[in-house]
Amino acid sequence: MKTKIFGWIDRRTGAADIIKSQLTEYPAPKNLNYMWNFGSLALLVLVLQILTGIFLAMYYKPSAAFTYGAYTVAFDSVERIMRDVNFGWLIRYMHAVGASAFFVVVYMHIGRGLYYGSYKEPRELLWIIGVVILLIMQGAAFFGYLLPWGQMSFWGATVITNLFGALPIIGEFLQEVLRGGFAVGDPTLNRFFSLHYLFPLLLVAIVGGHIHALHVVHSNNPDGIDLTKDEEKIMFHPYYTVKDAFGVAVFLLFYCYFVFFNPQAWGYFIEVDNYVPANNLSTPAHIAPVWYLTPWYTILRSFESKLLGVVMMGASLAILFALPFLDRSKVRSARYRPVFKQMVYLFFVTVIVLGYCGHSAPTATLKLIGQIATTYYFAFFLLLLVVPKFEKTKPVPEGI
Amino acid sequence: MKLKQLLIAVGTLAIVSFSQSAIASEGHGPALKHAEIDVTDQAQIRRGLTVFTDVCMGCHSATYVTYKGLMDYPEIGLSREEVDELRGDSAITDGMRTDLSPEDAEASYGKVPPDLSLIVPARRGGANYVYSLMTGFVHDPDGKVPEGNYNEYFVGNRIAMPDPLAWLDHEPEDTAELERDAQDVSAFLAFIADPHQNERRALGCWVMGFLLLLTLVLWRLKVEVWKDVKKH
Repeated sequence: MKTKIFGWIDRRTGAADIIKSQLTEYPAPKNLNYMWNFGSLALLVLVLQILTGIFLAMYYKPSAAFTYGAYTVAFDSVERIMRDVNFGWLIRYMHAVGASAFFVVVYMHIGRGLYYGSYKEPRELLWIIGVVILLIMQGAAFFGYLLPWGQMSFWGATVITNLFGALPIIGEFLQEVLRGGFAVGDPTLNRFFSLHYLFPLLLVAIVGGHIHALHVVHSNNPDGIDLTKDEEKIMFHPYYTVKDAFGVAVFLLFYCYFVFFNPQAWGYFIEVDNYVPANNLSTPAHIAPVWYLTPWYTILRSFESKLLGVVMMGASLAILFALPFLDRSKVRSARYRPVFKQMVYLFFVTVIVLGYCGHSAPTATLKLIGQIATTYYFAFFLLLLVVPKFEKTKPVPEGI
Repeated sequence: MKLKQLLIAVGTLAIVSFSQSAIASEGHGPALKHAEIDVTDQAQIRRGLTVFTDVCMGCHSATYVTYKGLMDYPEIGLSREEVDELRGDSAITDGMRTDLSPEDAEASYGKVPPDLSLIVPARRGGANYVYSLMTGFVHDPDGKVPEGNYNEYFVGNRIAMPDPLAWLDHEPEDTAELERDAQDVSAFLAFIADPHQNERRALGCWVMGFLLLLTLVLWRLKVEVWKDVKKH
């Protein structure tokens, strides 16, 4: 491997040591299950999103100026990409499906961390960096959804920027800064495009930090125990490179099915109303964010007071930062925590229920279900303060 | 373990109800009629184009569809002469635009007719909705809405578009022909909404085939590499 050129670089950077310690001879637990594949998949989707995004930005034009009828420069440029740019349809559908795919794999990744206690000592900071990544992803996705300048782009952005206006004192100022005016319009589109380009760059940097933090404290494992013996570990390469590669192939099967055969995913990945050009005089009958933001949208809608809703929505995300410090149980994995195990499964169910409620048109029943789910969402975290005091954990194995 | 099953049950239920609600929320009022369309059928798409230029284009545009596109897309594949006849004074690179000005439309119908380039993905139910709408004109049961402006499938039933195919009170022997016109134009509109869709699906078959092979190979490779790792 050490050719002359590589040797020259190595003497000046220590590249060989980095590759050895971080990849080829990086020790990993031998008992990781397939839930541990989602981290590498998330990295793959991030790279796909950045690559496709760079090419889309070569043709996309952020302008709300009218061209013909209700159409605008921005809407036209997306349609030109779909119709006239060579393989533009492929790049654009990859990007649109990729946004949803990103959240699918990241939510699985977070769920795995929750179930197996990957947020616990010594991985608290690793978890916290992960939550920062989630928030930036949500921001990037929200900014990106405005760019086609369709009805749902426009009204989604109107609703979400409106939320900031509910905050006391700084609310109105914050809302105007976000919008670049008093209403969502051309300046909003331009700054959202700028931010949509900035946020993924932040993501790359923070993902680097996430991986570095992981390689300091090393992977958790399904048993959630500290590995002390060498025979409990295997080298990342070839064992996990080949396992991750297999995971990538399976992921691509699902991804490409949607890209090539079902890019709108029945209106879940690209909403029906977003094929209608933005019109500030006509509000769609039912405004809902894209599926990956709906759980938080339900929490927002569960409170009568707008301010309280906004605060609780913020709290529902902020509480993720506190998770490592709320749960003081010494046992990490839900496998050996019977009470926590039931709680965490119910939590997953709750998030799906919240997502369903946020996506559907509001009815009295759904609102009540959403409120119950919201209550459990918070109760889950707060109960973790007391659960370790009475939970009879099962004995954890000595080793694997 | 019970909750794990509950999670799986809720997950499955969610997926089913999500896709069901996507299907159920297709239209308003009665269930949509199923349009027999085939976006790879050149004959049907061409017949739909004729309906579009003869009827729809009196008021509607499809501005993202250029006259050049009518030649270039193999699914339509008109000759230069046919396109020249269609486009009149418009440039070959122009979109298909109606001669009706927005002001005149506003004066006659009270609103500007929407552009039809993306009407199929922009409506719940897609081509089925367009087909149902074309053949959904009936007499207002309350007799309040003017004749030809009451549609079973339109939100609120009162539609500004006056019965383009003259469906209302048509002779029974014309039913089949009118239904065919409505389906043909739905097929045309479904095609032009995403003119690379057939290319996309064809390429997708190759991609999926390749990925299936790749998955198989990587799975065997994974098993081979891992066989010396002892299970605990």
